[in-house]
Amino acid sequence: MPHTDITRRSFLAAAAALGVSAVVRPLKHAQAAMMPSPVGQDAGWFAGGRLRYRRDGMAKVTGSKVFAIDMRARDLEGWPDQQSYALTLHVPRADRVYLGLDLSVLEPDLAPDVLVDSDRLAKDGVAMPEADFYGDFFLKPGSVSPMLGQPVALGIWHDYERFRAARKKLQFNNDIFRFGDPADPPTRAPYGAARFVRIGGDDPRGTDRFSPMKDLVVWPDTDEKGVHWPGDDHPAFGEAMRHSAQIQAQMKNPPQGWRVFARDFRSQSVDPCAMEMENGLGWYQAGTGHLHVVGATQSPYAAAHHILEMMSASKMRLSNLDFVTGYTVGYGQKEHQSFPYYVAMAALYGDGRPVRLALDRWQHFQFGLKRHPFDIRTALAVDEDGHFQAMSCDMTGDGGGVMNFSPSVGTVAVTAAQSVYYLPKSDLSVQVLPSIGVTSGSMRGYGTLQSMSTTEMLVDEIATEMGIDAIELRRRNVIQSGMKNTQGAVPSGYLRIGEILDMAQQDPMWTERAARKVAYEAANPGMLYGLGFASVQKDFGTGAEAAVVQLEITRQGRLKMRHVAAEIGAGATTAQMLVTEPYLGRPADEVEFSVQHWPQMPLHTKDEPYTTAQEDENRLAQDPHWVPRFTSPRSASNSAYYFTHATQQAAQLLLRLALWPAALSIWGAGPAGGQMRPEPLRFEDAKWRDGMLVARSMEPLTMQRLAERAHADGNITGVCVHTFNRWAWAEADFDIDGRTFRAPIDALSVKWGDGADAAKKARMTDGGYAFQPRVKAYYPPVQRNNAGTVYYAPCATMVELGVATGSGKVTILSHKTWLECGTQIVPELVSGQMQGGIAMGIGHALYEELPTGPDGPGNGTWNYSRYHLPRASEVGVWTQTGHVLPALSGEDPPKGMAEVGMIPIVGACANAIAHATGHRFYHLPISATRIQEVL
Amino acid sequence: MAERINFSATINGQKVGPMNLPQDLMMIELLQEYLNLTGTRLSCGQGVCSACRIIVDDPVRGSYTVPACVTGIAWLNGKSVRTIEGIAEQDDQGSPLPSAIQKAFLEHFSFQCSYCTPGFVNAATVLVEQLEGSPIPADKVEDAVLEALDAHICRCTGYVRYYQAVRDVILKTPGLTTENPAATERAS
Repeated sequence: MPHTDITRRSFLAAAAALGVSAVVRPLKHAQAAMMPSPVGQDAGWFAGGRLRYRRDGMAKVTGSKVFAIDMRARDLEGWPDQQSYALTLHVPRADRVYLGLDLSVLEPDLAPDVLVDSDRLAKDGVAMPEADFYGDFFLKPGSVSPMLGQPVALGIWHDYERFRAARKKLQFNNDIFRFGDPADPPTRAPYGAARFVRIGGDDPRGTDRFSPMKDLVVWPDTDEKGVHWPGDDHPAFGEAMRHSAQIQAQMKNPPQGWRVFARDFRSQSVDPCAMEMENGLGWYQAGTGHLHVVGATQSPYAAAHHILEMMSASKMRLSNLDFVTGYTVGYGQKEHQSFPYYVAMAALYGDGRPVRLALDRWQHFQFGLKRHPFDIRTALAVDEDGHFQAMSCDMTGDGGGVMNFSPSVGTVAVTAAQSVYYLPKSDLSVQVLPSIGVTSGSMRGYGTLQSMSTTEMLVDEIATEMGIDAIELRRRNVIQSGMKNTQGAVPSGYLRIGEILDMAQQDPMWTERAARKVAYEAANPGMLYGLGFASVQKDFGTGAEAAVVQLEITRQGRLKMRHVAAEIGAGATTAQMLVTEPYLGRPADEVEFSVQHWPQMPLHTKDEPYTTAQEDENRLAQDPHWVPRFTSPRSASNSAYYFTHATQQAAQLLLRLALWPAALSIWGAGPAGGQMRPEPLRFEDAKWRDGMLVARSMEPLTMQRLAERAHADGNITGVCVHTFNRWAWAEADFDIDGRTFRAPIDALSVKWGDGADAAKKARMTDGGYAFQPRVKAYYPPVQRNNAGTVYYAPCATMVELGVATGSGKVTILSHKTWLECGTQIVPELVSGQMQGGIAMGIGHALYEELPTGPDGPGNGTWNYSRYHLPRASEVGVWTQTGHVLPALSGEDPPKGMAEVGMIPIVGACANAIAHATGHRFYHLPISATRIQEVL
Repeated sequence: MAERINFSATINGQKVGPMNLPQDLMMIELLQEYLNLTGTRLSCGQGVCSACRIIVDDPVRGSYTVPACVTGIAWLNGKSVRTIEGIAEQDDQGSPLPSAIQKAFLEHFSFQCSYCTPGFVNAATVLVEQLEGSPIPADKVEDAVLEALDAHICRCTGYVRYYQAVRDVILKTPGLTTENPAATERAS
């Protein structure tokens, strides 16, 4: 992961170094008192012990101001009522020298009140932070743009009517840009490249001969001439390259009995199409040096941190940064994007007025992050029995104009090419290159949709070529528990994709497909019936997941939670409130989400979880206040598993350390040990029934009674936990009040109740808590970074469709999806994610495509009129079904599934079209035009 | 600068205007920049995605929706419109009392990010109001819902829970259908 992964701690450290007072806070805290945030005010979402609707539901369904884009200056506490309006100007081409602007079209009265360009920023010392990652603010006159859609200037108008009139004259008007001679865009080095080679041992569950996990990943040198793969005599990478060469040689000259199937695929550029465009609102008070920014971003701490960096060399004074985040939506489009810095920069030039900067949809297409297109060459070697023997996959991605997350998207993509299969040998390589296209970022799927979909298309074709049932071929090769992935890591737990394949193979849609095809085509002349299937498993998490959760019980028995989780639409805040129920008999009564201020957890970190050497980490871990990372952003489908783990640990510890001792105190009261004495009570006997704590034959106890006793006895009444996962959970030993235990957390603070003695009260100096130094920490070894992933959520989709022989138009008839995601916290949210993901996948499979050259969205002419997003009539809205496998046990953890549901539908559609037409398509999307060309 | 007009309308039951405004002002600009009613959300700006659809109440034609991003105030001058802010009632404490459609969207977990929700609420509200005057057979409800809402883009949910919610409201509200609805529940 890149160095741009910023946590609150590093953000505050940066602020302190600059002498700036800085805070990141949610929107509700900033809204004017006359217009308080409606989120969280409605209490009806949970009633009668039942979740009725999303916690943020009432605010959203009534159109309240919840998004950053809804905000105006007058809505914000302490801001002026009047605001200015800003507009960025983006060049539509990258093949000529840019000479400057010609804004004469705005004369005489519509010229911007302020015009900011590269010269002005240079004079003021305002620079884009991490320019290699985000790009420059503005193109300098006299140079060729690296990409279409690069901003060259920003205008500010102090009244709306002049702004809108000027905008109308500037929109779609390419004459405002002065261009000189034809020229090539600047030459740049590849954004990233890597190779993952694995030679398994004789036993898929045994020791590998070579693998990234056991040995290393190959990281080649790159420069403007391209990628330079190391030779087979390279001191570090030579062995890997020799194995790679052997696999490639076998693919060209396969041994007796092997067949090698090699195909070239292309997956297209896609716009995530977040319905809320890039936007923000900023206000700079030059006199005091206060900068206020309302941003729409999935990574608020990175944005705030880099705004500080943006100002670090500025002549403009910055004494205070107030970064406010609204609800937003992005599917990765607003993850580490550059736009919040344009908002902050615009604010600096507002002449003391708040400035609103919001892209329209054409501009959003022109500048918003895209999904990477990839050229993918995949080869699979199969023996006579239909067992996969080796895979090679070489992916070349188009990262667009700026690097952004291209390096890690590439590696995640190629390590997902294995899909759901065990591969004895694999040679997986990737490079992601710059282009003049709009920058590609970290859209939902993070590259895995592109690689897994094409693998599933290849597997289907192999089945046809070899005369094997396509699901049967998958079953013969499916990865099973304990087997290794292509990185040489053993996936977590019991792998259930085999169960899904079994169910799919027995589904009537599959077993009756021949008869259904005959019947459909007889009833629908001019239509071809196709049935397709694909199965995938998607990783979740980033390999360095950290979280903090605080849970405490008031004397009145109310359960209060503070949590790092932020809401990005997927329902994490609703779900996390419910996680306490199995352990504490109820959801949290009061909650504060997006908490960034944690005095209860006095930790420090270098936030280098991927690069710290083992010996350094061993030394650092001896300090009980050190952790590898403090918190993680909301990304990579990380809330269901990683945040839930933290919430569960807090709830379990509150039960063990607070409520159970209180119960024993009540049950054991009285002469000779009270009602408890005759029973062999153990902590494991504790259960919740109808909101009461019960154990064997003991008197059921209400939460209120337990809380009163815990407080009265001065026992623990609150816990705050920190968790960390590096493809395994960090654990630590603790000694609290003489009780020693080990827990899968790496830091703990506790709070004692009202009746605590003076000594304990004196220790509660950490935000009202007492930090409990761990006795010893057990962090997963840093070598696990090479695992790539070990956590998977499996999913498969079967789709039946009709293809019109005349037009090539595809009609989805129905589809069925199987998913395994452990325990569902909120089944309605799981099913909604599946349904939404499938629609997005249908868009990728059949409709959505952006050119990557001069006709691409960077030219400013793209919108929904020519970029088709699937409608309800195109996704089988009334006919689709879904099946979620039951959890293995009550303790089966929930799995991140917000991305996986989108993926198998892509390969399933392609395979269904092949079934319908008899033709294999290798270029996505499989549009009506492409089908028509073949038919 | 554009020519100006005096604009008056009834918005969510309240008289607005006369306001002297640019003649070419789009309704979404009036709502968002002049009236601070931002629940009507801009997305495509070309009348394609339907996120910004508002309700026009016509005494003759009845209620229908228009995309506020491409509908000028000049065309709406003198008309009565409803936006998302005017759909729910309020109780004595000022808390929202959601309409049947809003309640169904809540209970079906119909939306995620909710950017498109106001448009869906308005379109579904109009469908229900139209069915009050012209009920349809129960077995035609799914087709009617699809026809009424198909122009609305949702990027999060895949539409299923929006559609099921509207179908349920129609089937459960007396007078909107002409026969006892068949059991058409499907797994999802």
